[in-house]
Amino acid sequence: MNALVKPDAFSVGANPVFSPEPAIRFENVGKVFSGRSGQGAVTALSGIDLTVPRGAILGVIGRSGAGKSTLIRLVNGLERASSGRILIEDEDVTALTEAGWRARRRTIGMIFQHFNLLSSRTVFDNVALPLEIAGAPRAEIERQVTRLLDLVGLSDKRERYPAELSGGQKQRVGIARALSTEPKVLLCDEATSALDPETTQSILGLLKRVNRELGITILLITHEIPVIKEICDRVAVIEGGRIVEEGETFTVFTQPKHPTTARFVETVTGVELPAHLAGRVRSEARPGDSALLRITFIGENATAPVISRLSSIVGVDVNILAGRIDAIAGQPFGSLLVSVTAHEPELAAVLGALKSLELKAEVIGHVS
Amino acid sequence: MSPELIRLIAQATADTLLMVAVAAGIGTLIGLPLGVFLATSKRGELFAAPAVNAVLGVLVNATRSTPFIILVVAIIPFTRLLAGTSIGTNAAMVPLTVAAAPFIARLIEGAIREVDQGLVEAARAMGASPLQIVRKVLVPEALPAITLGLTLAIVSLIGFSAMVGAVGGGGLGDLGIRYGYQRFMPDVMAVVVAVLIVLVQTVQSIGDRLARRLNKRLRHA
Repeated sequence: MNALVKPDAFSVGANPVFSPEPAIRFENVGKVFSGRSGQGAVTALSGIDLTVPRGAILGVIGRSGAGKSTLIRLVNGLERASSGRILIEDEDVTALTEAGWRARRRTIGMIFQHFNLLSSRTVFDNVALPLEIAGAPRAEIERQVTRLLDLVGLSDKRERYPAELSGGQKQRVGIARALSTEPKVLLCDEATSALDPETTQSILGLLKRVNRELGITILLITHEIPVIKEICDRVAVIEGGRIVEEGETFTVFTQPKHPTTARFVETVTGVELPAHLAGRVRSEARPGDSALLRITFIGENATAPVISRLSSIVGVDVNILAGRIDAIAGQPFGSLLVSVTAHEPELAAVLGALKSLELKAEVIGHVS
Repeated sequence: MSPELIRLIAQATADTLLMVAVAAGIGTLIGLPLGVFLATSKRGELFAAPAVNAVLGVLVNATRSTPFIILVVAIIPFTRLLAGTSIGTNAAMVPLTVAAAPFIARLIEGAIREVDQGLVEAARAMGASPLQIVRKVLVPEALPAITLGLTLAIVSLIGFSAMVGAVGGGGLGDLGIRYGYQRFMPDVMAVVVAVLIVLVQTVQSIGDRLARRLNKRLRHA
């Protein structure tokens, strides 16, 4: 393991502590879309209980059609709940009128998958739009927009039009625009889904800065598990209009309880068998076989020099087949596929030694 | 060509321009709000009023499906009421405007409907009122398309204005019919056609250029 991971490669326990009062709370919220004539009603969400702690980044992940778009639009009243209550900063918004919502929306920023910038306005005027709508004086607009363009690193583009910008730059304008009225909550609707991986990283970095430096609570929806892994403190998995699992990102990723969650996190935490072995795995051991072990490293264990210890404690040769180690929500997590002799009692000794190191290990098959 | 004829052609051109300008101007004043309303008042839209939308839609279609020459005759009582007479340049402005307004409304409706709904959603999320959405998002974003639509409307009106000549409306069409056709003066007819071509060309190229300048979706330095 020493070759793979340096003990101080990750900082452990970097998670911030959140204020106990929630920024957003869903209480048994349901949403039914009444069908048009000839069509039945469609239940988009049911029994949603979800709390977004103040100052946190909470990600809702689900496939398309799972209800995540509806969920995020309930927070700024673009959709209205059919049942249950929604509280924002302790205020019940369920019964707000359209005029009440208009005022409320100025305290909630939103960014979009396709940016939704006005093509007829310059970068400056796009960022200024929410302030114009709120009736801010010209001097205030000038000051605020200049500050925000500086924050997102686009001061030199202020007189450009959106058509002249790259996707990442457009989303930066979107973020600046969403922040112009100094909201407490930022809603991100698939904000990086239209961007390439590199640009996604820089936008996620900016969102994290916005969260940590300005203390803005972020609720985001995505179908991309790397987005959750990268910046979310908490994650909720949504399927069929229900939240099937919710918790701290690291816990959910390393100990998924629901099958849907397991499928999502597999792509990040799982390790595939090398192709040349995949076809030769048997469940029963024959004499002379090697056993395939999957070892999971969590948190501080991920930085322990396990393989060299195994060799020295048990005296067994350990052959590394595949492995990965990654940071999930700032904490290290690793998965390793190894082969050791399937001969007893050596195998039992290896498993015993792993257990004593508090590592999760399972035999997934045998090969000759 | 005699100075007398040249004076007639100049007068007719001025009449045509006046008729078209007044019809396009008043037509836009009526057609713009009507078009915006048609584009935003179906079920679930900003100013949802499906019944009113349907009634206005039928009204607009009725006007648009009536051949212009029939419309001119059919609304003579209305024309008399407004202009005091049913012949002459002033009177011709009435049917031209009546034809222009619904035509422009449909063109503007189309232009507004082309605006990405995501922008409307974004504006709502900022706390914009429906009127603010129209003023700050829909109309500015649709402006290039509206400009092209109005250009098309003006070109069509130039054609219509020639038709009102047939019922004593004045302008280039009237001149062409009375001198070019009835008095067998092919040179007058040729000049009338040439002036109309130049007018249409000029309007179209100004409209195209304006629309291109307003369209910020194209990358231009």
